[in-house]
Amino acid sequence: MFSFTKEQKVYDISGVSIGGQPGMYPTVLFGGVFFKGEPDFEDAKKHLRVMLELSTRTGTPTIPDFFIRKVEYIDPIISFIEKNLPHKHPFSVDIIEPTIKIETLQTLAEKKLLFRTIYNSIHVGITREEQESLKKFTPEMVIVVAFNPKDSSPDGKIEVLENGAHLTERGLLDIARGIGFEKILIDTAALAPGENSGAALAAIPVIKEEYGLPTGCAIHNVVEKSKWLNDYPFAKKTVDVASNCSIPLFGGDYALFGPVQNAELVVPLIAWQDILVSEYTENYFGICPVAFHPRRKLLK
Amino acid sequence: MTEEYYPWGGEFTACSPHGCIAVVLLNIQYTPPKDVAIYGPLKTENIGVEKIVANTISNPFIRFLVVCGDDIRGHRSGSSLLALHKNGIDANHRIIDAPGAIPYIENLKEDAIKRFQKQLSVVNLIGVQEKEKIDATIAQCMKKLPPSYGEPYIAIRIKPESSVSLTDKRALHSKIVLNYLGKVQERGE
Repeated sequence: MFSFTKEQKVYDISGVSIGGQPGMYPTVLFGGVFFKGEPDFEDAKKHLRVMLELSTRTGTPTIPDFFIRKVEYIDPIISFIEKNLPHKHPFSVDIIEPTIKIETLQTLAEKKLLFRTIYNSIHVGITREEQESLKKFTPEMVIVVAFNPKDSSPDGKIEVLENGAHLTERGLLDIARGIGFEKILIDTAALAPGENSGAALAAIPVIKEEYGLPTGCAIHNVVEKSKWLNDYPFAKKTVDVASNCSIPLFGGDYALFGPVQNAELVVPLIAWQDILVSEYTENYFGICPVAFHPRRKLLK
Repeated sequence: MTEEYYPWGGEFTACSPHGCIAVVLLNIQYTPPKDVAIYGPLKTENIGVEKIVANTISNPFIRFLVVCGDDIRGHRSGSSLLALHKNGIDANHRIIDAPGAIPYIENLKEDAIKRFQKQLSVVNLIGVQEKEKIDATIAQCMKKLPPSYGEPYIAIRIKPESSVSLTDKRALHSKIVLNYLGKVQERGE
């Protein structure tokens, strides 16, 4: 459990705060809403309701992360967000295809949803068209992925943030700020086992001390890619859920924990972990947890 | 020949050591005939492509690379692999004309890529899902009985320059130090 010398930024999006010294704000959890084939909105609605109820009960903030993989799904998914998420609740959009990113931005702007949107994400593959589109329609917050294909160490991650590691003209932080983003989250890019997977965790305190920016990652991806765990299906689920604990332990601010269906397991687990972190950091560093922190909410 | 023969590891199945075909699977549930050399899925347009290059050139008997199934959305890993074979990389290590999001080859030397281009012929079956068609293409390649390319090429990973040796007992990283309570600060402050 850490405390940082560098001033730690806290960013708010529609009432959810991300960042700060460990123990002050609860870890924010992003639950993935993935649709295989045609979107099953009834199922998504059910799981989102469960996740948001758990948030209210525990104090651990949750944000749905919508994966949009086809142009024809943009409108239905955004309509679903408008109708089914609580008024003003933040959400993120996770899109790989650059053309879909651009169309989605336009739709979000038309529906006046950009103030609730976290753009997931900017990385070294950002195109000029995407940058232009983001300048025109700038979401409230962005996740910048510090993936460096050459160097997966914390230094390599800092290199892409700082100067683009010759993959982009400028550093990713410069690009994000140049677009107009003021609220920047860093994703330390968890890679597969065998690809320096532990660096995603080690990079959290390094990046927080370097920039003071809210930092996290999708560490559960490492579990998904640990094929040997398929021989231990019961343990695999436990490992997948438990992997998220490492993020607050390393001083991180948020976790992309995988499918929203896992919320019932992950949300209480992270509330528990945040209580441990908060107890220590208040005792030794004098960091007071905010009023809605799980420690205040759950410990009577 | 066991899977250890392929030095870069990965999610693949090694079959016949003297088989002349490697099969790249893109979003497809397909098991090639057991007389191919190796087969496995491709997911990413950078690290995934690098592994395919390194693992195929390490077995000189592999002369065909059959790429089948539907390309990975956004990543366009299959098309990026084809672009690497056709065009190589530019001065920034980007695969020339690759359509993927982050198509960079950072861990292989140019020689390895040249060897890949010379040793292997690529058979583009992107968009093909039918087992019969893929089986037939594999059978045609096998009939050609291509000779071995010669010596294996064992690609060495280009090491990042950032590895450091620290003497601090509580060192987390070269940029930061941690005191006994867990207070982090920049090294040298």
